[in-house]
Amino acid sequence: MTAAAKYLRIALGVAAVLALILVPATFNRYGLYILSQWAVMSIAAMGLNLTLGYAGQVSLAQGAFVGIGAYAGAILTTQGFPLIAATAVAIVLCFAIGWLLGYPALRVQHHYLAFVTLAFSTLAFLVFRNESWLTGGIYGISNIPRPHVFGMATSKPLPFYYVCLGALAIVTAAVWWLIRSPWGRAFMALRENPVRALSLGVDTRRYTLMAFAIGSALGGVAGALYAPLTQYIDPVPFNLSLSLDLLMMVIVGGSGFFFGPFLGTMIAVLLPEWLRFTQGYYLMLYAIAVILLLIWSPSGILGILDRYLTQRRTRAASALRAVAKPKLEVAQ
Amino acid sequence: MKPFGLAAILFAALAAGTAFAQSSGPIKLADVAELSGGGATVGNNWKNGIDLAVEEINAKGGILGRKIEVTHADSQSNPGVARAQVQKALDSEPYVLLGPGYSGSVKVTAPLVAEAGITQIMGGEAAELTQAGNKFLFRTSFGQQSSMPKVAKYINDEVKAKSVAVVWVNNDFGRGGRDVITKEFGGYGIKVAADISTEAGQADFAADVSKIKAANPDAVFIYLNEEESARILKELKRQGVTAPLIGETTLVGQKVIELAGDAANGARGHVGLTTDAPVELIKQFRDKFSKKYNYVPDHNGIKGYLAIYMIKATTEKMGKVDPKAFADTLHGLTIKAADEPGILMDVTFDQNGDIDRQGFLVEVVEGKQVVKQVLPKLH
Repeated sequence: MTAAAKYLRIALGVAAVLALILVPATFNRYGLYILSQWAVMSIAAMGLNLTLGYAGQVSLAQGAFVGIGAYAGAILTTQGFPLIAATAVAIVLCFAIGWLLGYPALRVQHHYLAFVTLAFSTLAFLVFRNESWLTGGIYGISNIPRPHVFGMATSKPLPFYYVCLGALAIVTAAVWWLIRSPWGRAFMALRENPVRALSLGVDTRRYTLMAFAIGSALGGVAGALYAPLTQYIDPVPFNLSLSLDLLMMVIVGGSGFFFGPFLGTMIAVLLPEWLRFTQGYYLMLYAIAVILLLIWSPSGILGILDRYLTQRRTRAASALRAVAKPKLEVAQ
Repeated sequence: MKPFGLAAILFAALAAGTAFAQSSGPIKLADVAELSGGGATVGNNWKNGIDLAVEEINAKGGILGRKIEVTHADSQSNPGVARAQVQKALDSEPYVLLGPGYSGSVKVTAPLVAEAGITQIMGGEAAELTQAGNKFLFRTSFGQQSSMPKVAKYINDEVKAKSVAVVWVNNDFGRGGRDVITKEFGGYGIKVAADISTEAGQADFAADVSKIKAANPDAVFIYLNEEESARILKELKRQGVTAPLIGETTLVGQKVIELAGDAANGARGHVGLTTDAPVELIKQFRDKFSKKYNYVPDHNGIKGYLAIYMIKATTEKMGKVDPKAFADTLHGLTIKAADEPGILMDVTFDQNGDIDRQGFLVEVVEGKQVVKQVLPKLH
């Protein structure tokens, strides 16, 4: 990469972050709610991207982990604990359950693994609904408080949006570091060729469990923020369709690309809202758009960009070769 | 001082603009309903009822000479989405907010609407909705706390059952109804022979009906959504259960009769709003609705229709379009069908936003709802 391209990327990143901070200040409540939803779901999708995109383990349980995080957050904050403590509990809980759920992943792969996680998803839903002594059952938990950050109340939409955005920033930085660490390299080795990774001394067993546990813990973080965002939770939003939605966000954005989950979530959260002007057709149009996108580019939106960049590089290389060819022939 | 002066002029112009918008032009209403997902039947009936009433009122010149404009938003039957859509609706400052129909969605949106000081007329039937002290929330139908005691009384006085099997759908609607009626049974000394929870969208009721058969109750109380009611009625007939089958609006609705066919015969229930009520205005409503949409509405269609006429009657009572005074005026208001035919039956709203109105006990006879008894208005 040339220095100019590098600066361009940094400038783009800074502009995007500034836009996310400054532009929403002029938004109304609805816009802020949707954007907060985007931030929260991006965290969950990043977790799944780690499990699926980097470590190659198909999981249909991410929605259940968002649910576990949401219930942990809701139960603890309504009991008077601060949100930060509730989030910590959600992380530990989801990490532990994710680790346990990773064991089947050691034995089964691909769609068999999807089935195992699907069963877990259903199980989690039944626990949320039937254990009313803990979760409030089908009546759910209402009046979930929003936190105070540095002594400031965040019950208004804008401050709470900044809470979500701040959490997203922290998670983004952590994941950025993680995938550049030896762990991240081990995850990718696991996805590309587990046998070879094992022969090179990567403890595939431990890293598979780790990929599941960390991905699930991020689902828990998203859940712990989702509860104060809607201020009311019941089991319905955490059924299988959320897991499928999250899977779609990761794949549409570009599975295995760092910025894939951000784009995928943007499509999944914002596109249906933009299409609402078509009244009764908006969900159909949304579905068609996603199908067309995946036919055109099975590797998602960032896959298109990736292909374009690769083509450009190939062309540039071919041009150089073409220029160099006569000289090489003369040299012969 | 100059920039300040300019800002003040701008602000004044803006304020004048909003004031102007509220005092003339169309009256804006916003509806958030279950147009897709599990509650699509509920939401689309509700929406069509609203559209029909708006069309009628606008054809006659509107409310106080102003036309009505209504926007519909889809909650996808999901409380999180409902909250987003209600927020969007509130940003456009509607006169009154209509919907949602699912109790969970009402619970998540009601505090927001109340905070904005806007009245919410909704379709939810869970008992607790109007018991949280919300001063802006109004029902369009009986809550479970007023319908279930009537069903329990009927089971005790008329059916004279000593043991009842209770079948309910495990969502907030079903669980709420089951909790209220079980308490009522306790008061009468009626034993719950079997307490059977089922899933929304469940297709096979063979195991549940076997349990009912094994419990051998004097009566079966069924509290499921329309489609599932039809399925369990068929299964009860197949397995030859002969105990009286009693339910609420959703057991004897038009849709259930269509789906269950013969198996619906003999089913009885309390119905707050039915398109088969022996009331001339309701028959007219049903004809108008089926002519416009080519199907017979269920009670959700009537609820949507009534919501608009509640707004008309309340606004005309105030003599002005005043969103702030709306809820106060509607509390304690009695609307008579003689004065406002669109309200269909005389109705009174109490301080909690609950309604008092005539009810019906109906039985399905040869594929038709037949009203056996009219339960009078309480006050």
